[in-house]
Amino acid sequence: MRSPFAYTPRRGPLQSASPAAAVAYLGALVVVAFLYSSPLVLIGAGAAAVLAGLLAGARSAVRAGLRMGLSLALLIVAINALVVSRGETVLARLGEWPLLGQVDVTAEAIAAGASIGLRAAVVMVVASVYSACVDPDRVLRALRPLAGRSALTATLVSRLVPVAAADATRLRDAAQLRGPGAAAGGWSPLLRRLLAGSFDRSVDVAATLELRGYALEQPRRRRSRRPAAAAARRARSAEPRSRFDARFYALAAAILIAAIAGKALGADDVHTYPTIHVALGPAAVALSTLLIASGLAPLRRPPARRRTLAPSALSSDMYEKGTATAGREAAALALRGPASAPLPEAPGA
Amino acid sequence: MARRRGPATASALLALLAVAGCGLGPGQGLDAVTLTVTHEYGRQQILEREVGDVTESDTVMRVLEGAAEIGTKEGGRFVKSIDGAESVSRDGRYFDWLFYVNGVESNVGAAAFPLRGGEAIWWDYRDWTSALHVPAVVGSWPQPFTSGYEGSHHPVVVECLGGGSACTEVRERLAGAGVEVADGSPSGAIRVLVGPWAMVRRDPAAAQLEGGVEQSGVFAEFGGALPPLRLEGLDEAGAVARRFGVNAGLVAATRRYEAPPTWLVTGATPAGVRAAAGLLSTAKLRDHYAVAIEDGKETPLPVPGR
Repeated sequence: MRSPFAYTPRRGPLQSASPAAAVAYLGALVVVAFLYSSPLVLIGAGAAAVLAGLLAGARSAVRAGLRMGLSLALLIVAINALVVSRGETVLARLGEWPLLGQVDVTAEAIAAGASIGLRAAVVMVVASVYSACVDPDRVLRALRPLAGRSALTATLVSRLVPVAAADATRLRDAAQLRGPGAAAGGWSPLLRRLLAGSFDRSVDVAATLELRGYALEQPRRRRSRRPAAAAARRARSAEPRSRFDARFYALAAAILIAAIAGKALGADDVHTYPTIHVALGPAAVALSTLLIASGLAPLRRPPARRRTLAPSALSSDMYEKGTATAGREAAALALRGPASAPLPEAPGA
Repeated sequence: MARRRGPATASALLALLAVAGCGLGPGQGLDAVTLTVTHEYGRQQILEREVGDVTESDTVMRVLEGAAEIGTKEGGRFVKSIDGAESVSRDGRYFDWLFYVNGVESNVGAAAFPLRGGEAIWWDYRDWTSALHVPAVVGSWPQPFTSGYEGSHHPVVVECLGGGSACTEVRERLAGAGVEVADGSPSGAIRVLVGPWAMVRRDPAAAQLEGGVEQSGVFAEFGGALPPLRLEGLDEAGAVARRFGVNAGLVAATRRYEAPPTWLVTGATPAGVRAAAGLLSTAKLRDHYAVAIEDGKETPLPVPGR
């Protein structure tokens, strides 16, 4: 079974944009989440992330991210209410608890927990959208010149973790197929088997990497006598730019500038102790509106006329999405014919 | 069968919570408490307020938070700053916020200190490098004699150790403050030792003064090469900062281990003891850790360092 957070190639602007542009846009939403405690602004940032994910076709990732984020938020609210006894509005006195001492549940502690939880939920939804919409290979390719070994490690992790998850699903399915009379396997044997399998696989991967020469030192590059040729080579190996990049960079800048201006104008006039104070002034409303509107960034402009799958259009999309996925898409589109409906969402995506 | 267990478990849990003193809302109202915030051993008063709307669920932390701008640490259990004055380490000296309830140092955090009503809460921002442990102070007079300490009332006894007329004056002043002085030696009593130092020092709690400020928490000691001994005032670092005359008196409080606090009304001579007994009033003891008196002039202790 495919993870809802797994990257699925699609033709949307967010997937087509260069990784740097997508990261800038989604990162700006995360920055807002960390900068602000105002529930209005946090809800705005969360709504933007949800909207962006839905428009980018990552419905399952958004749903899973929301489910996890809101569960985490509820957990944070509950823990904060029990652990922090600050605040003047005592709602319940729960007596002496082991380790915690006197536990008083206050409205202020619940509000503070909700603020932290909302922030965590926003970050989780943004991370889900990132995971489902930004090609990890392109990100790692972009990072490789900066930190080769780290990029390799991240590549291995990003490959091996989903493989281990798939292994776990297969093992669970196999255990269930043993029938109702079989004794329950439990988590411990499953985890043992998964760990053993992961070690086996890691040894294989290490051997393969060694055979491919990863253990050797990187050859020193000689300085090219022809700078123009070197520049051309660098340009060929560089990440191709997308026509959507400018849109995401501009939005990221607008979000960050508005967030900083909002801070200065009092859009985050919120404190939870000793009493709850939330100022919902025009600055907070404006920033929240801007954030929600920014969620429309992955919206694709409707075509002026019915699009035909001319070879030039296909090759342009292939260029944007990378050669690895273009081959598969070309074959699929050829089989579907020129008048077919848009591609449906991938199963499990 | 499993369905029937749910309501039964919920009922049992609710009954358990009710027995454990739990409930909804802040609980019943209590008597007003006084809140004092000072700097440098009470020399500079920042805030003094009577807080009236105290309830069963209130703690020292909650009362402080309602009256001042505070910063906390460790999940809101301890106070880090009050009105901008923050716990710091400067030139090898450590400054922090410490609090006393009814003149007795707390052994738990402010958030874990429940109130019973009528307490005197005193927060002081001070250098604790030389004396982290100052177990009792005199600045909340007539507490702890009127309401007790750590949430329970304690009997008060005056032990006259050769104090003469000073003992009578101490009893009168306590009675004037509404304190009922007990006879004999009831267990768990807060003691007031009255007499010349040569007699008072025989008491194990009072003898802690001879171990220095680290042991007694009192910024005073009796020293000198020849009898009669002379009262010496210490500074924040625990060094002798002032030598008083032979007729100087001292009012201080200390505590030995977990025993009730012991107040000392003493001096090197009977004249000094009488002078010390005259110090027992709110006007003369308020916001001071200990007070010395010489020639009718009070000197709060510790003596400011040079």
